[in-house]
Amino acid sequence: MSISTSRRARSVGLLTVLALAATGLAGCAATHDNGSSGGGGGDKVTIKFAWWGSDSRVESTQKIIDAFEASHSNIHVEPVSMTWDDYFEKLNVMAAGDDMPDVVTQDDRYLTEYASRGLLADLASTDVDTSKIDQSVLDVGTIDGKLYGIASGINVHAVVADPEAFKAADVAMPDDTTWTWDDYSRIAAEVTKKSGGKVYGVQNYSFIEPVLEVYARQHGEEMFTPDGKIGVSQDTVASWFQRSVDQIKSKAEPSASKATEVQGAGVDGSLPATGKGAMAWFWSNQLSALEKDSGHSLTLLRAPGDHDFSRTGEYIRAAMYYSVSAKSKHPKEAAELVDFMLNSQEAGDINLTDRGLPSNLDVRTAILPKLGDADKTSAKFIEDLTNDKVVVDSKPVPPKGSGEVSDITGRINSDVIFGKKSPQDAAKAWIDQVNKAIGQ
Amino acid sequence: MSAITELRSMKRKRGTPATKTSTNLRRSDGKAAAVFLAPWFLGLVTVTLFPLVASLYLSFTKYDLLSSPQWVGFQNFVDLFHDERIWQSLKVTMLYVVTSVPLQLGVALLVAVLLNQGMKGLAFYRSVIYLPSLMGGSVAIAILWREIFGEEGLLNKFLALFGIHGTGWVSNPDTALWTIVLLHVWTFGSPMIIFLAGLRQIPDMYYEASQLDGASRWRQFRSITLPLLSPIIFFNLVMQVITAFQAFTQAYVVSGGTGGPSDSTLFYTLYLYQEGFSNLHMGYASAMAWVLVLIILALTGLNFWLSKFWVFYGD
Amino acid sequence: MATPTLTPTDLGTRISTLAEAAPEKHRRGLWRSRTTSVLRHTVVIIACLLMIYPLLWMLGSSFKPTEEIFRDLSIVPRHWDFSNYSTGWNSLTYQFGKYMLNSAAIVMGCLLGNLVSCSMAAYAFARLQFRGRRIWFAVMLVTIMLPIHVIIVPRYVMFQHLGWVNTFLPLIVPSLLATDAFFIFLMVQFFRGIPMELEEAARLDGCGHARIFLQVMLPLSVPALATTAIFTFIWTWNDFFSQLVFLTSDDVKSAPLALRMFLDSSSGSSWGPMFAMSVVTIIPIFLIFLFGQKYLVRGIATTGIK
Repeated sequence: MSISTSRRARSVGLLTVLALAATGLAGCAATHDNGSSGGGGGDKVTIKFAWWGSDSRVESTQKIIDAFEASHSNIHVEPVSMTWDDYFEKLNVMAAGDDMPDVVTQDDRYLTEYASRGLLADLASTDVDTSKIDQSVLDVGTIDGKLYGIASGINVHAVVADPEAFKAADVAMPDDTTWTWDDYSRIAAEVTKKSGGKVYGVQNYSFIEPVLEVYARQHGEEMFTPDGKIGVSQDTVASWFQRSVDQIKSKAEPSASKATEVQGAGVDGSLPATGKGAMAWFWSNQLSALEKDSGHSLTLLRAPGDHDFSRTGEYIRAAMYYSVSAKSKHPKEAAELVDFMLNSQEAGDINLTDRGLPSNLDVRTAILPKLGDADKTSAKFIEDLTNDKVVVDSKPVPPKGSGEVSDITGRINSDVIFGKKSPQDAAKAWIDQVNKAIGQ
Repeated sequence: MSAITELRSMKRKRGTPATKTSTNLRRSDGKAAAVFLAPWFLGLVTVTLFPLVASLYLSFTKYDLLSSPQWVGFQNFVDLFHDERIWQSLKVTMLYVVTSVPLQLGVALLVAVLLNQGMKGLAFYRSVIYLPSLMGGSVAIAILWREIFGEEGLLNKFLALFGIHGTGWVSNPDTALWTIVLLHVWTFGSPMIIFLAGLRQIPDMYYEASQLDGASRWRQFRSITLPLLSPIIFFNLVMQVITAFQAFTQAYVVSGGTGGPSDSTLFYTLYLYQEGFSNLHMGYASAMAWVLVLIILALTGLNFWLSKFWVFYGD
Repeated sequence: MATPTLTPTDLGTRISTLAEAAPEKHRRGLWRSRTTSVLRHTVVIIACLLMIYPLLWMLGSSFKPTEEIFRDLSIVPRHWDFSNYSTGWNSLTYQFGKYMLNSAAIVMGCLLGNLVSCSMAAYAFARLQFRGRRIWFAVMLVTIMLPIHVIIVPRYVMFQHLGWVNTFLPLIVPSLLATDAFFIFLMVQFFRGIPMELEEAARLDGCGHARIFLQVMLPLSVPALATTAIFTFIWTWNDFFSQLVFLTSDDVKSAPLALRMFLDSSSGSSWGPMFAMSVVTIIPIFLIFLFGQKYLVRGIATTGIK
């Protein structure tokens, strides 16, 4: 065996490449770092803006950023875009590394978590103009008197109904100003029956908690009280789960396993989106995605049962919040971006209802004519709810740990619909687990 | 001496550490080892050790990612024992490990041996068979699995031909785990590739010699292929057990991150992930991780100990 | 390519040349070999079809309008829609090719790291005698056992302090430092399977460890190195979690991260473009595999050592 010099040369070469690669990459790192920290004494300030959404929102947000940079020549905005499924995992890690973006989009789930740990700035003390935003909307982002998040837009949880499915089953659309929960179950069962099982009446509602929120409010309760405790009674939760069991039995909704499947398929795989169901609960701003999937126009119905009990249940929810990091090195510039997103007509025209029906009332009025049909429907729906005093007040901001509620609800609901837990036991388990999550 | 008896005698010798002379020869390897291990050691100290120690520390704290960790002693470990979902997740994971690992390795070995038989179009078959492994964790799989194992999926359409009315396999708590086991078996490409590489390292001369002895193919497989491939089988076994315990992506993708329905696919790491990242209990999640390390360590130790009885090294 | 194993045909011929077997037996041997061959191909083809179904489905879906994907389960689209490809390629902040190049850069770094540093460490563990070998080996194995999800946070904090977040360094440097212990263990197992005699001979020729490693072990371990290279390529290319954590801005995002931008469970997803770009991202790894697999089988049989 002889030494071949070429081989040795090659191995030396390999090591050189390795070293070069390492230094080259280190070089990249250095330039990036300078770029993002923005503290290099230059006249241009760089701020980071984090949000979630899919490709279409990436595109529209970039347009807004371009418009912002055009009118604020001293600021450069670095986008941090993620999908909803990864958003908080990533944001949590960034927060752990003390590296939170200057402007972050927040959600009900984590607003209190972040605010209570001093990570968010009080927006009331900044220059963000809130004069055009309804006080009830500002309230949903206020914790202990401090404004930690301003709703980009609003939406409500309502029943999406497919008029064609009703027509095909020869069932009359319900009058949503008077219908009761029993009407809801009866009509749903009728649709399934009359369509010969081709179309289900309604999609299971108890995998997530928004309908429970509505239901609790109708009973004069709140899921969480303003002081951060569970406000809904075990009986209310039990009767809410009971309806799911009954409806599966009456075939008003699909079997447990089919329901699980549909739930897992998201908006695009839901019953109304695929033409396999007459009704399902959604957020009002999801209507346009549903219409696009189903290929024809759908409509929104108010929650049933507003006359069954003591009061109405609907509440306004922030589609998402804009918040500013308490540790931002450029709070002034961050606030300017938030202000631009909320109040400029330019941003409003690009966003339309992508981030909920705009909370700025002037912007909202101005964009109405530009909306597509589905968005017009949902905008009008929300307006009517407010005008008819169906939405009477906002719900308290949920406490720390409330982010677990939807997982807990989904898990217990599976036990209920597969018959592993009675609705009463399920309600007890729900109360216990939610209490544990919020640290009570 | 025939190849097989030769192998046998080599195998018998294995208990003693190679031969005396070579051990003596290699007494002075310390310096060489330092050079060869330098990058690894540097990586261990800088990139690996710090997170390792940090996670151990965190396992004794209450840590929510958003604020500083607080020391709580053994509280997390005590809580672990009283957490029903931990037990559920251990049950799910154990079931998964004991079913999917042998199944996947068995299929991988079988196909590797079949593909090693100089068939026409071998390269093509190999690539096709490897394809599922290329997209194992892709979101497309979640949808595909629903298409196949859903209530109105392909499987049920097939069963309907025989008058059987199937359930929604992915969404039924009694069957959901098995669809994930199947998914794992279906992506057997990686161990198969390793087996194939191992098969190619077996010198032809053993087979030629045994052929002269008139050995049957089964006997060749048992007496030549298996013993000579045993280090690779062992590697695959150890690694598959470790990765099966850490199985995450497939359950995450199929259940949409929930481990549902009814926690029936709540894999240990999936639960750990939920706790650490979604519910902000990173201290608890770190404790879970170290319990997992202990479990895997025990099983890997067992594996190594058992390997003395069946793994055959050339050295 | 030489077949290393005995095929039924060989057996048949051998038996007949031994002149002990009757002619019928010979014929039966031939017949048997042909049917087994046909049978084997049939089995393999059916298996392949089962295996490839998902890819075909994905390919089909990439040509369907988004709304059709969930309504129609067939593989062949009812309405062919090629726009998914152009939409997918262009609809993110950068053209999709940019993300593929980012992925490629990360892969190259990891490839280099795993091939060089893991094989070096593996040689030490497989062939060198040194104090604490078993303990260090155990330490190495333990590093595989800790789930990535708890390591990633301390690691993030560390790289954040180094200013490496949002660069490829946190993804590549660990590979350069042989942190992927899977590959060390893999190569240890292969090295240990190589007959000792070859090294003994080299040693007698006066070769040191460097030369034994470079000139005996590595050439003999082409399948193991190819396995490492292919796995590194595929796993790094598909890896999502650590890339999600370390890569933030759009200009450094990798292909898997970009793919996820098409999906948003809260407001409806662009399934069509997502499938189209999934197909596009699979092409490089499939090509790498097609091209690379011949090295997998270049075992001892073809390196000329018998």
